[in-house]
Amino acid sequence: MTVQTSARESYHPPYQVTNSAETIMRFPFPFPEDTYMYSMNVEPHVRSGPVAAMHHTFDIDEHYVAECAEKARILEQDPKRCIVLPHMREAEWDFVEFAMTCLSEQYPQHFSLRREGQDWHWVNRLLGYEQSFVFGDATTLPLPPFEYMARQMQGDFTLHDQREDDLWMDGGMVTSQADWSLKFDLGMSFRQWHAPVPKAAEMGVFDRGLRFLLMLQPGKPVRRLNWTMTINPRLDTSPENFMVWGPDRASVTPENVADKVHLRVELQTLYRMPRSNAILFSIRCYLMPVRDIMRVSKWRRRLHRVLRDLDPALSSYKGLDLYRQTVVDFLAPYDDGAPLSSGIQPDADQPESVLASVA
Amino acid sequence: MVERSGYPAVIAEVEVLTPTLRKFVIAAQGTRFPAVSAGSHVVLGFGDASRRYKNAYSVVSATPDGRELSVIVRRAPQSRGGSVFLHDQAQDGTPVTVLSSANLFPVVKTARRHLMLSAGVGITPFLAHARALEAEGADYTLHHFCRPEEKPAFEALLATLPPGRIFIHDRPPEDAGMKERMAAEGIATHLYFCGPEGFMGWVEQAADALGFVAAKVHSEHFFVPEGGRPFTAVLARSGERIEVAGDETLLEALERSGVDAPCMCRGGACGACALEVLDGVPEHRDHVLSEQEKAEGRTILTCVSRARTDTLTLNL
Repeated sequence: MTVQTSARESYHPPYQVTNSAETIMRFPFPFPEDTYMYSMNVEPHVRSGPVAAMHHTFDIDEHYVAECAEKARILEQDPKRCIVLPHMREAEWDFVEFAMTCLSEQYPQHFSLRREGQDWHWVNRLLGYEQSFVFGDATTLPLPPFEYMARQMQGDFTLHDQREDDLWMDGGMVTSQADWSLKFDLGMSFRQWHAPVPKAAEMGVFDRGLRFLLMLQPGKPVRRLNWTMTINPRLDTSPENFMVWGPDRASVTPENVADKVHLRVELQTLYRMPRSNAILFSIRCYLMPVRDIMRVSKWRRRLHRVLRDLDPALSSYKGLDLYRQTVVDFLAPYDDGAPLSSGIQPDADQPESVLASVA
Repeated sequence: MVERSGYPAVIAEVEVLTPTLRKFVIAAQGTRFPAVSAGSHVVLGFGDASRRYKNAYSVVSATPDGRELSVIVRRAPQSRGGSVFLHDQAQDGTPVTVLSSANLFPVVKTARRHLMLSAGVGITPFLAHARALEAEGADYTLHHFCRPEEKPAFEALLATLPPGRIFIHDRPPEDAGMKERMAAEGIATHLYFCGPEGFMGWVEQAADALGFVAAKVHSEHFFVPEGGRPFTAVLARSGERIEVAGDETLLEALERSGVDAPCMCRGGACGACALEVLDGVPEHRDHVLSEQEKAEGRTILTCVSRARTDTLTLNL
């Protein structure tokens, strides 16, 4: 994956985000079947999978620099997007070690890490950072350890303490969220922070999910895909800023639907941290406009079917009600109803040209 | 779940603590061990040409550079032979593989105070906890119970910790006034205990009688799976029949036959290895299933439990 080394893109008005052909083809399209309902769709996070976005522990793509710049901008406006409770100090260092190790081993052209005992030296060539520090000594880093590293990664991260047979959201950095707030959820248990989700609790999804995660072992991470839709390429759809982005949901028309409406996919990965026994939850967000999804024939047909038949409770919870029908009507002429292969893989090597590009 | 090949290592040092307890320092060969949190166990693979063992042991210490970790092993002659192998045959240079690690006995990080009780080899998780709590400056007390002749060995083992936090008793907890000490604890104290079954039962009863709430009572039943009557496991999906010998566990027999069976603690404590029983009567030896689940006999933890019947049919 080629990474741009300057932030030409903008995830806030005036929006300016474009996806290369490679980025479109590696998109983790979230629908393996023509219908969607909650399930325990958890699988081992091995370094392979039907799309390239799944081939690294932490995926770095062409938007890396722009996303890190957007994260810094949001943190400057609202520093409380990053909170870590004091009993998670060991988990902070777990995160630093894990992130630096994975990035330097899997992207040696962009990152490097030298370890001599507790004396570490970190280089991030994409952002131009170089830092010597003593592992375990927070005074040797310019920022608290978790914040220092989480700012250098795409996506959101939360840290979960395990006690009383439950998981507690006791830290995180959340700047690209689908309408939830770390400030509000901080300190909550697994069932508490999931309480707003309709239907899944009565299906037993959370009970099974929690039981599974309580037994997550070091070195055996898992992943799942989650999705919603977002108007404009806006990473920060937070409750704190609802007054800014909420009205956009009413701005979708048949003319602008292909460019305004984005499928928002979270590649969620979960890791047991070895020092602290905490769980690291990584939420890597991908935004793909309908215009780009149109360029993969399997995906455009499947997206039409899923949205058309979506359970009304899920549509409402995900905030799609104001524009879902507009998207379905736009996609309908491009769906011939032919059977599609199961799984999320695009079944093509290159994107097609379907719609004329916008001026 | 595919078992990783694990971390290759050798035994670097053997220390005789008591006639039945030995400490083994295990040194990584090549790849560093990952960090382990206090209270974790590791599953070690070892043995010789005639017999391979996979046993879980609490990690009592690990060096920060990931080069070494230590375990303490009690010689359990009536068990399946892993501990006897380590006591009688393991020496410097004996190869060992660290297959996996997990923490089933962490402390509650938000607790204001930790009261830890152990007996015999049950000291092992608390050796790691006490050092970690000491390093954090947390409030804790450890009471250890042992036989009089073992007391010097445990004193030596705990010598680096502050004497005001460590109490070693050569009498049973009842005679040592433990109940009164527990009664004097504040409402915010979390209680942790680990030791032989009789000791566990005493602490459970005392905690209950004194009104400790369940959410503040934490225990680890360390448990060496024992052998028993041989039986035949029948795999319902493939029809395969697997003989489980008297000196191996059902889980070991499944693994020996190349079955990819789930597992984690290998000591009847976590429940990860649970399989559905379609026919036959299990002999439950775990600490996970409820009394009702045990009576129903539809689930078996393969790492410790066996069969009352000649065959046991598994949904596998």
